Amino acid sequence: MYIGILGAWIAVFLTLSILSYLYEDNVFYKLAEHIFVGVSAAHWATIAFWNQVQPNLFGRLWPRAEVASLEGFNKFWYSIYHGLHVLFSKIFPEDTVNGVLYRGIGDQPQNMTYIFAFILGLFMLFRLIPKIGWLSRWSLAYVIGMAAGLRLYGYMSSDVIGQIHATMLPLWTGNLGDSINNIILIVGVLTGLFYFFFSVEHKGALKVVSRVGIYFLMIYFGASFGFAVMGRISLLIGRFNDLIEYSGQQYGFATPILLVIMIVVLIFTTRKNKKEAEEA
Amino acid sequence: MTKFTNFLGKLDSLDRRIIFLIIAVVVLIPLLVPLELPVETTQLTEDAFNALDDLPQDAKVLLSFEYGPSTKPEIHPMAISVLRHLFSKGNQVIVMCLWPDGLFMANEALELVARDEFGLTYGEDYVNLGYRPGNEAVIKGITKSFEANFSVDSKGVPITTIPIMHDIQTAKDVDFIFSLSAGYPGAIEWVLYAGDPLQVPVSSGNTSIQVNQLLPYVKSGQMRGIVAGMPGAAEYETLVIEKIMHRKGLLTEKALTLLPNFQERRNATKFMDAQSIAHLVIVLFIIIGNISYYVKRKNQRKY
Repeated sequence: MYIGILGAWIAVFLTLSILSYLYEDNVFYKLAEHIFVGVSAAHWATIAFWNQVQPNLFGRLWPRAEVASLEGFNKFWYSIYHGLHVLFSKIFPEDTVNGVLYRGIGDQPQNMTYIFAFILGLFMLFRLIPKIGWLSRWSLAYVIGMAAGLRLYGYMSSDVIGQIHATMLPLWTGNLGDSINNIILIVGVLTGLFYFFFSVEHKGALKVVSRVGIYFLMIYFGASFGFAVMGRISLLIGRFNDLIEYSGQQYGFATPILLVIMIVVLIFTTRKNKKEAEEA
Repeated sequence: MTKFTNFLGKLDSLDRRIIFLIIAVVVLIPLLVPLELPVETTQLTEDAFNALDDLPQDAKVLLSFEYGPSTKPEIHPMAISVLRHLFSKGNQVIVMCLWPDGLFMANEALELVARDEFGLTYGEDYVNLGYRPGNEAVIKGITKSFEANFSVDSKGVPITTIPIMHDIQTAKDVDFIFSLSAGYPGAIEWVLYAGDPLQVPVSSGNTSIQVNQLLPYVKSGQMRGIVAGMPGAAEYETLVIEKIMHRKGLLTEKALTLLPNFQERRNATKFMDAQSIAHLVIVLFIIIGNISYYVKRKNQRKY
């Protein structure tokens, strides 16, 4: 109950702090901005660690196993795990069931190829140590290479080939409306592409083609701007809806109280700053 | 007349804070006093709705949450409506997240719809696999193996022990992919790395700002319609209610009992009043701004 009320007060304070920037840059906005940056980074890191690194990386290197049954390399390998358990027991848990000691995370099969991912991940952290920071470039090289290859394949098959295929349309379909749509689409694609073709000077008939391309692009930008405005208003509506909800008695009138306090403080600081500027 | 034209000419130097205040007031009033403006459905939303509605009862739908609190007002009502639609038909839903915040959005939507409204069983009717970092690499990964990318679900349960996942090895085994997308990674990546290569139908509920980017994929048939922004969410809410009211297509008995609840809790529809009025005022501002610009230019020429 009290946690819910406290959460509402924090939400209202941060919302009003961010909105206060519309009046002018001020201490509330700066505070909310810094909290947002810090909390976002920590939140992302925590979620990524407990959802991916711990179960999917450590869990595959050291899946849960009965300590007494370990032999050979795995005996040594799980002794490293035990060392890590001593240092970080929550990340590398050990448990005893019916007197039998177990080490490891999850039930997935062991996959030692993940050791390369582990090493590359460690290399990334070496950026914090200038002397061996160069090793992080290997990790970055892997990430960039993998991402470039993956995207090239996706864009080539779906964007380039898929979209060219979708533009090869009949100019007359038997239906006037559909035919006009197809003609507009084809003319828009060709003139839009021509606008970005700079190997010939755009004059005479070519200037007309290029100009038509600009009009299509203008329409696109106008529509994008309209959608962007719609999106921003939607977000404002969402925040206002929460502010209205938290203005009730069950939340201790969080919105009106904080709003009044913030307005008073902003008026006071604005006057003070103005006076100081005049004196200077 | 001269005074009026002078006033118009001076409008371009109006303090921007007055404009912010006017927008705040016109957004606030319809939220406090709902106008209940009608919602007309569009082809884009109807296509997405029909694509999901045509799925058989034993179909399994992959629902991916790629949004966070910042875009919640636009996308969350869609998530709730899509879940209501699928559960009304008796479909099974596999949820995953490509955004860290998506996990919280997914939990909130599932708790409301699957647990509280429909009283469904976790692991049998639906599952939340949780968040995995890696963007499109995760999508590419699940086209080969779910287990390799999601060894455990969001609760830490191994996915091999979850009944709903028994016959789902890769993304090809799902019947439909629906991305609730607010940017990258999102709907486009689902088309590029899962929909097109595996020929699994894809649709999306997305923010308004993404609509222009996604329309080419709809036009080419790579996506089955889209639910576009808050208006799309309001349309989807309307379509789900109409389906249950008129008993169209596949429908469970439970859905019929929940109809009053669905009619009462229509957030996107409620928000559309404020959205419509705000748009009218912005259009008015643009017209006044242009008139002011021309008047000012004319006055400058005169002197």
